[in-house]
Amino acid sequence: MSQSNYRLVKALLLIFLGIWLVFTLFPLYFMIITSLKPVEEINRTIPTFWPHTLKLSNYAGIFADPGSLKSLADSVIISVANTALSLLLGTLAGYALARWIRGAAGENLAFWILSNRMFPPVAVIIPMFFLFDSMPWGTDSYFSLIVLYLVFNLPLATWLMMVFFRDAPRELEEAAYLDGFTPLRAFFRVTLPLVLPGMISVAMLCWIFAWNEYLFANLLTGTTVKTFPVHIPTFTLGSQSLWNLIMAFSLVAMLPPVILFVILRRYMVRGLSLGVVKG
Amino acid sequence: MTAATSDPAATAPTVAPDWFAQRRRRGNLIVNPLVPWAMVGLPVAVLVAIVVYPTIWMAYHAFQDTNMMSLFNGNWTFVGWQNFATALTDERFLNSVRHLVRYLLFGACLQVALGVTLALILYECVKSNAVRVILLILLVLPMMLPPSIVGVLWKFLLQADNGGFNHLLINLQLLPANQRIDWLGTRLSLWSITLVDVWQWTALPLLIVYSGRVSLPPAIYEAARVDGASSWLVLRRITLPMLKEVIAIAFIIRFMDAYKFVDHVSVMTQGGPSESSELPVYIAFQKGIREFQVGEAAAQAWLIFAVAAVLITLFLKYMKRVLKAQAIA
Repeated sequence: MSQSNYRLVKALLLIFLGIWLVFTLFPLYFMIITSLKPVEEINRTIPTFWPHTLKLSNYAGIFADPGSLKSLADSVIISVANTALSLLLGTLAGYALARWIRGAAGENLAFWILSNRMFPPVAVIIPMFFLFDSMPWGTDSYFSLIVLYLVFNLPLATWLMMVFFRDAPRELEEAAYLDGFTPLRAFFRVTLPLVLPGMISVAMLCWIFAWNEYLFANLLTGTTVKTFPVHIPTFTLGSQSLWNLIMAFSLVAMLPPVILFVILRRYMVRGLSLGVVKG
Repeated sequence: MTAATSDPAATAPTVAPDWFAQRRRRGNLIVNPLVPWAMVGLPVAVLVAIVVYPTIWMAYHAFQDTNMMSLFNGNWTFVGWQNFATALTDERFLNSVRHLVRYLLFGACLQVALGVTLALILYECVKSNAVRVILLILLVLPMMLPPSIVGVLWKFLLQADNGGFNHLLINLQLLPANQRIDWLGTRLSLWSITLVDVWQWTALPLLIVYSGRVSLPPAIYEAARVDGASSWLVLRRITLPMLKEVIAIAFIIRFMDAYKFVDHVSVMTQGGPSESSELPVYIAFQKGIREFQVGEAAAQAWLIFAVAAVLITLFLKYMKRVLKAQAIA
């Protein structure tokens, strides 16, 4: 390929990247400006791409609304509790699978646990709906979502912790035994610090999945407990959607996972690729 | 915390060499080879309770005529394969299967193709490292957003009359000013959902493949450069073959996620208008939890489940091979 040809191809590729970037960012830009517009401006027949009036009071409205704050708090409670549970159980099982249960049995077990993450939850949620409905706590509770989010987070946490523990050199642990460490102390002082970056990435991923989850929350909860995705459709006035409030609330709700991703993206690649790609 | 985490102590002798036996005899350790199994058993028990048990429950009810009334009376009757026959002859369900095939073909496959292309353009054509990182963050951003919010946002953008997307196209001269595309109408609803999926999830293969490309050894590229290989040849003979596994894994993860994903459908169109954007998983949910036709929903769920089981078995077999090559599994 000649030099000028090469330049042309490269320029075309960069243009394609630029178009994709615009396509990616336009909705986010439109979301931000919509969250700053008054309702009248949103309802115009031709939308404005540059808001004529900036109205920060939409955000003030969100933070003054007890329903919105409660839904965010509910999301925090459920996602944090589920992450803690997934991480605890996943670390225990991952360590056992990585160090002790080897061979075909351990391998099949690990892959079976992982496979649970990939199955469509449709066969899970219908029975669980009726089961929880007949229980004293009911479907519309913190407990039901904290437990049901384990369906996808527990397999992920177990599998990834196993991968991270296998990466941590066993020799260091054995050297600690030689120095007179008890196994428990060796685990906490030697092995755990080694897998700490892995644990952070698992915790972040589990938390983001639990935070973002919509389907289970929508089907099971809505009155007593209401996570933020279930709360969004309530921003209406009569039959009219209050898009400015919806967008302001959505921006507040999606900020935490975005910030986490920007800070910790290095740790996440491994987890997102189920341990295959070392980021 | 204490009870659970003291477990590793118990089975350490299987890890430790013989000199460790002395320490064991001093009595500060409990020796029990069952402890690792107990540690694994905890999550396995949870998964049996919340995944295996419901699946078996569904398998049972797939052969019963269970509906809302009979479920609460407890008197359903055995109907054999009738529920499966109903599902497989139901035009609505079969249509949703056709939708799913189209959605996966144009959604998941396109996302991986685009993700690979964009990742490689980003790595090869952008010189400055700082710019690359910023672009990567911006391009991957949609993936981190809650799918429900993405659905709401696009539903707003794709409104026919005063939606931002139509007017963006008009401003870019791609659409005549007096024309509006009815993105969420019967004809385009599924395509629009696929578009939103592509917007949100192209980021996943992009991020994975980009990271895979970063970790390829530079020495090979140096050698190729010295030998005077063209960029095209390097791409075809070095980069793509070496990224083969990474791309395949990205595809597997994206494909299985898309197979079960109905958040956008649920938020944007609720399967409509007139069932034009329904997916099998969505129908099964509606049948089971909204209409309480549990027997029929169970049959549909099991059909979905069986196909998933075949795919997952194949995918995990492949993944096992990749991980073996990396000496992780």
